[in-house]
Amino acid sequence: MDKMDKERQLIHEFLDGELSPEERRDLLDRVNSDPLLKREFDDLRSVVEMVETGERLAVPPAFTSQVMRRLPAPKVSFRKRVSSFFFGARVLRWNMATALVTLCLVVIATGALLQMQKKGKVVSYQSSVEKSSRTVVISFQAPQAKAVAVAGDFNQWSIEKGLMEKKSDGVWTLEVPLEPGTYHYMFVVDGEVWVSDPNAELYRDDGFGNKNSVLRVSL
Amino acid sequence: MQAEEYSLIEQCRDGNSEAYAILVERYQGMVYNVACRMIGDRDAAYDISQESFISAYDGLKRFRSDSKFSTWLYRITVNKCRDYLRCRKPDVPLDEVTEILPSKMPDPEESMYQKQLGQTLQRAIGALPEDYREVIVLKHIEGLDYKEMESILGVSANALKVRTYRAREMLKKVLLEAGVSNG
Repeated sequence: MDKMDKERQLIHEFLDGELSPEERRDLLDRVNSDPLLKREFDDLRSVVEMVETGERLAVPPAFTSQVMRRLPAPKVSFRKRVSSFFFGARVLRWNMATALVTLCLVVIATGALLQMQKKGKVVSYQSSVEKSSRTVVISFQAPQAKAVAVAGDFNQWSIEKGLMEKKSDGVWTLEVPLEPGTYHYMFVVDGEVWVSDPNAELYRDDGFGNKNSVLRVSL
Repeated sequence: MQAEEYSLIEQCRDGNSEAYAILVERYQGMVYNVACRMIGDRDAAYDISQESFISAYDGLKRFRSDSKFSTWLYRITVNKCRDYLRCRKPDVPLDEVTEILPSKMPDPEESMYQKQLGQTLQRAIGALPEDYREVIVLKHIEGLDYKEMESILGVSANALKVRTYRAREMLKKVLLEAGVSNG
């Protein structure tokens, strides 16, 4: 490598910023004192500057959207497809027809819901009674009686509400849905005679000289 | 930046193309400029840039997180340019670059002169052998260091230094012959 080649090598290292401060100073001193070397140095530096300061080209518009259009459909697993179907956000595009149809569906659904709610009150009430209570069969044997009723605090001591049904063996029965709790009751024979239940577990004075039968209903 | 970029890449791998749109937006200038300078034809460079992003998207599964996304994308772009140049007609001969540039204009016509200078520079770069063109573009237009160029081109940093020195010498010669001087 001759002297000029070595100097050229140093100029390139200078342009790459790889010389130490001392080496840079020495090179610049030699460049300034040697017209031929200065020419080499200036030409090379000028070329590098020209390339580095050249205008950066602007990307044509819609470049990104065109790339996105050309991308292959992503390979998504079945699980992700299902998950995305149910939970993925999507954009709905509306027109007047779909808006009107949707409005009609909303009106119909709201009407149906209100209708169901009305029925639902009864249904839910019945259901809750059935769920939280049990049906107790109260029975009383009186083959000679013409009518027997059971009156108690569960039917506001009403004879009419507690009318019992006579079975073939002379046993009068009534099914009463009762929630868990303690109830007092008596039998009323032929609409006049108030009788305590002879099989009751417990009795309580009614304050009028009679004993109410006590019934305990548990869950 | 790196963590955010890897997060975007993960989202792309999960099929979120919106995340990829962010990456395209971020790197389109880089890819397009490399392609333009390497190819010298804006329409072809546009197509190559598009193809580079599509290939990158296809290959995201293979992208290793221990390297920079930009380095990987440079590599894809350079390879696309090489493929294109291999199939294209031969490069502009060195002597065709000359006689393009008028002598330096006075100030009112400076912008026209600058435009012509830019065209001459592009033709001069286009007249370089492909491997010289690559190092000039990556080193001086993209401002990369030799280590990153090594990752992109798969050639040792020392070999790339020597190649860059020679590429500069050749570019200087072409430009001087085309009438471009530092004065």
